[in-house]
Amino acid sequence: MARQLSYANAILEATDQAMALCDKVVVLGQLVDTQSGIFGTTTGLVTKYGTERVQDFPVAENLMTATAMGAALTGLRPVVCHQRLDFMIYSLDAITNWLALWRFKSNGKSAMPVTIRTIVGKGWGQGPQHSKSLHAWFAHLPGLRVAVPSTAYDIKGLLLESILGETPTIFVEGRGLYSMTDHVPEQPYRVRFGQAVVRRHGRDVTLVAIGSMVPIALRAATLLEKEGIDVEVLDPRTLTPLDRHSICQSVAKTRRLVVADPAWHSFGAAAEIITSVSEEIGDQLRAKPIRVTLPDSHTPMSMALEPRYYPADDDLVVALKQAVS
Amino acid sequence: MNAAPSRLSHRTITQIGRYEAVDLHGIDKDLALTLYSQMLRLRRTEEALHREYHPAEEMRCPIHFCIGQEAVPAALSALVRPDDFMFSHHRSHGYYFAKGAPMRELFAEIYGRETGANGGKAGSQDISHSGSHFYSGAILAGAVSIAVGAAFGFQHAKTRQISISGFGEGATDEGAFWEAMNYSGKKRLPILFVIENNRYATFSDQLKRQAEDNIVERVTPFGVRATQIFGNDVALAWRTLHTEISRLREGDGPVLVEAYTYRWNSHVGPEDDSANAYRSGDEIAFWKTNCPIALFENKLRLQHWLNDDEKDAIEQEIAGEIAANFQFAKDSAFPTDTDWHRMTYEDASPLADALLGTAAGGNFDHYQADAKLGPY
Repeated sequence: MARQLSYANAILEATDQAMALCDKVVVLGQLVDTQSGIFGTTTGLVTKYGTERVQDFPVAENLMTATAMGAALTGLRPVVCHQRLDFMIYSLDAITNWLALWRFKSNGKSAMPVTIRTIVGKGWGQGPQHSKSLHAWFAHLPGLRVAVPSTAYDIKGLLLESILGETPTIFVEGRGLYSMTDHVPEQPYRVRFGQAVVRRHGRDVTLVAIGSMVPIALRAATLLEKEGIDVEVLDPRTLTPLDRHSICQSVAKTRRLVVADPAWHSFGAAAEIITSVSEEIGDQLRAKPIRVTLPDSHTPMSMALEPRYYPADDDLVVALKQAVS
Repeated sequence: MNAAPSRLSHRTITQIGRYEAVDLHGIDKDLALTLYSQMLRLRRTEEALHREYHPAEEMRCPIHFCIGQEAVPAALSALVRPDDFMFSHHRSHGYYFAKGAPMRELFAEIYGRETGANGGKAGSQDISHSGSHFYSGAILAGAVSIAVGAAFGFQHAKTRQISISGFGEGATDEGAFWEAMNYSGKKRLPILFVIENNRYATFSDQLKRQAEDNIVERVTPFGVRATQIFGNDVALAWRTLHTEISRLREGDGPVLVEAYTYRWNSHVGPEDDSANAYRSGDEIAFWKTNCPIALFENKLRLQHWLNDDEKDAIEQEIAGEIAANFQFAKDSAFPTDTDWHRMTYEDASPLADALLGTAAGGNFDHYQADAKLGPY
């Protein structure tokens, strides 16, 4: 069996290899230097690379992002880690007013190789302050790249590409994916931004699935196979840049589109993808596009409500059937 | 002799009357004339931009003039090294010059021309000159935080470079400022925070916004060495900053210097903002009486280091430079490139190209359960 690593271990391996390849790579974040190491994604790095390169940071997320920016100006390549995206919101000034537009307002003379990793909780009562997936906020900002990797293979390659690249990038990582394994080659490799991947070929309906919706989408597609519905599952892997070309190519074939986004319904990535397809080949659609998302409401803590809040295999099956009906 | 009291406050500072404590101790004639010329160059530049702004209407960006606040930037200009980094707020021209960035690129930037420091994308309040390691921005305390990161980089690389963060007392309202105090004090970063306290955040008095005007006392417990100075005395500013910068280069940081000074003009643009009635005529008169350039010039004349002919020569050189740079800006082309993607994103990644190959993935097994979370 090909070498398997979990999503969390793939993050750790990517960071480790980037640090080994380039001594300018530093890791900043609350508790990155502890044994628990951001759910295992930084564990052991401090032993290998020392406290100069793996630094705990005060509970000051805005300053942490800005510090990474200033450090990047001096030649470092910081990787900023947030245990939960909700805390990262403190850094919106640094991200929105400075990081995203740094290259633009310097007229291309100054680069910001900063990688920001942030984790979205799901399950075990994470509740409304530990579970927000705001990837669409960041994807709305020109100047940033936004990655939403769903597999261990992808996150390793995308992380290496980002840490050793020149553009500020935000990784939105689904915590639910952390234990899932995938084939991960040992050597350092790159996955390019803006290249969607077809996870399952099909001819009846295109299902674009984002981040933690990918395994759910693949399971729904497998269920429908028994009913004679052939679903093509496409994973954009990055939202900025978004591989509109591959999405349209798939929809041009299937003429039907469902988008599964682990985020709120309104003004989100699903809306952007449906709009992009509609603008390009809307006249070729044989059915109304459908988005499967979280409701426009906050995450409930109760174990009775959590499963009703998050869309699951069955919800996708219903939407896909509707699309092909 | 009217010197400044040891504890400064804008409430009481006008009691000094005419400041008569300019002291050339530690400053030789060459340095004195450099400081003087730098202040005069900044003053004449700002006056010229102010004069030209209307009705020509060719500078179509907000400009926050710094007339009256020349002493601190001039002192810094004589102390920073080319490889130090400097970060400024929206009232940026003094710091831009202090870091040695060229006037012609400033003028062309303000005129929105292709030859500007940022090709006309940033304007006065967002200007940067990366070749000079000078950066600025209009959102208060954001640049203060980034300056902390540059200091982090210098400490990491174990160089003797320092990071200089210039801002007004308004930025000390922001939480980001206090995060910067906490972290730089804890890490003993090589950073110089320079507050030009001109009393007002736009039209709002510091004491409308803060319980006490005692920033230096409040930052000290964070591990930030702090001192106050009468900020219109360029000799004092130079001596203070010289001592503090020397200590910073030896690893004895961070430090904050609060310079009490005053902007003569409105908050922004040449328009008169006195209808807001936020400051008194007596206050304005005090600060104009104690003009940083006039105070220093008097001292130099008493010292016989400057006479009318020498001053005229400096004035002429500055006037020539300003005229030439207006011409340069006006003669320069407007930007025409509308490749928005290229302006906004860096697509090249030479390091990744050199270090990373490709490798095939496998088939992802989608029948795996979500990670089981625990209470943490």
